[in-house]
Amino acid sequence: MTLAAASVLAGRLALSAIPIFIVAGILLGPSPGFPTLIAPSEGTELLARLGIVLLLFFLGLEFSLGRLTAARRMVFVGGVVDLLINGGLGLVVGVALLGPGPEAILLAGLIYISSSGIVTRALFDLRRLGDDETDLVLGILVFEDLAIALFLGIAAALATGESVGGLEIAGTAGLALGFVVAFLLVGRWAHHLFDRIGPRLDREQLLLGALAIAIGGGALGEAAGLSEAVGALLAGILLSGSEVRDQIEQQLLGLRDFAAAIFFFAFGLEVDLSEAGDAAPWLVLAVPVAVVGKMVAGYVAGRATGFTKRQSVNVGSAIVARGEFTIILAGLAAAGTALNADFRELVSPFAGLFVLFTAVIGVVLMRESRRIGRLVFPTRATRRESRR
Amino acid sequence: MLEVRETRLPGVGTKFALRTGRGEKVSAVVHLDGMREIYHYHDEDEEPHVLTLNDEEARQLGAIIGGVVYRPQLVKDLEVALKDLVMEWIELPPASPMVGLTVATCRIRSTTGSTIVAILRDAGSLATPHPDEVLRADDTLVVIGRPESFDEIRGLVAEGPPD
Repeated sequence: MTLAAASVLAGRLALSAIPIFIVAGILLGPSPGFPTLIAPSEGTELLARLGIVLLLFFLGLEFSLGRLTAARRMVFVGGVVDLLINGGLGLVVGVALLGPGPEAILLAGLIYISSSGIVTRALFDLRRLGDDETDLVLGILVFEDLAIALFLGIAAALATGESVGGLEIAGTAGLALGFVVAFLLVGRWAHHLFDRIGPRLDREQLLLGALAIAIGGGALGEAAGLSEAVGALLAGILLSGSEVRDQIEQQLLGLRDFAAAIFFFAFGLEVDLSEAGDAAPWLVLAVPVAVVGKMVAGYVAGRATGFTKRQSVNVGSAIVARGEFTIILAGLAAAGTALNADFRELVSPFAGLFVLFTAVIGVVLMRESRRIGRLVFPTRATRRESRR
Repeated sequence: MLEVRETRLPGVGTKFALRTGRGEKVSAVVHLDGMREIYHYHDEDEEPHVLTLNDEEARQLGAIIGGVVYRPQLVKDLEVALKDLVMEWIELPPASPMVGLTVATCRIRSTTGSTIVAILRDAGSLATPHPDEVLRADDTLVVIGRPESFDEIRGLVAEGPPD
């Protein structure tokens, strides 16, 4: 019920619903000044974990080798520019705040990755799906999703202290990459099987089957030391080559949105604002860097792939919002036994507020991006027809 | 051939973008849940006009624009080129002497050399009608033949088969 009210409120404010879900969670959870209506419990934790697993499962579904190669220029040019600028800036911020170490690497990940969920939703709400430069925005997000699969593997290893040396980190990343490739290949081979089973299932069986595969993937991922999230992502990738994917996407779209809602809400519940004061210095540094970094990266990527200056501004403003991955990584970091205790305590409030700020700023920037583009570049650029 | 660029939008659906002969940009987005959006860019730096349709509305509009729904009127005089043979649609007014006669007794093929390949009627159209099929008022005959034979057929429709 809270989620429904939050969603309506978000519609009224013309904002993405995701920041509102977090705020609702924070307000109803144990924070000073408000009564604690819902205390974090095993139930809410389970809800949050289910949310992560489903979100990443749906993300994995969108993957396929064919799609990656069809839009490869967008994905790789955009993605690499974004990784270098924002991954790099994230690392600089991490080292500046925490000194070199695993904590800095985790913070870099928190800062680097944009929110596929918020951005995709905002592109729809703000009527940007028809724009040419939207292809680049979504290409960058696809690259980031690939980066996440590797990074979550590394993060899980860092958090539990299993590997601290550079070589071991590279080994973990290699393992995660190997799993992604293996699952893509197995999915290609197995899609005949899925295609034979899929059409015989009714809605309920499909739902339960997809849930079983998603949760089973999560459990396997955790057992393999790669974290639940990566496992669920891989389970999605396994099904991405089959026609069952279209079936799942069309029939279970509502489930995806529901998963996102419970995930952000449950995360909000975990955030205790009384610790947020200590995270303020981090936010003061990280938020402006994160906003400017994405604007610049989007602009450079846009120019590099043949868009006009104004279109490139649209790209930059579209990728500012951070969301689910920042929070997933914060969850991993907070549970990381091998990490600095202060860092573990601060990382969740930081991530919550960081997502709130960047998401709100990102959506506002996106809404105003055409106006910003006209202001910054008053003369109309002659359009270079981009051939992709 | 008009260039239509198809792009997959991950998590959303598929986008089809094209530029019209007048230089205006149009994109159609087909969402995974069946919703369609049509974006029309008058000026690419301005907000586009957006038309949002549900599945049924989109199909209906698509059929109208594609010329499917109102085809009988549209193609009344449309001739389809089949090398030097042509396809023609000829309506049978209620007053025609051919109403009530069978295909065979109309003797269209023997007098004009053109063949009835189909009969379009509200009660159910027939492809390659049987020679014993009785023609009804307001039927539309689809005939294939040389273009010069069509006036002869119209004459037969108006005045009945030769004695």
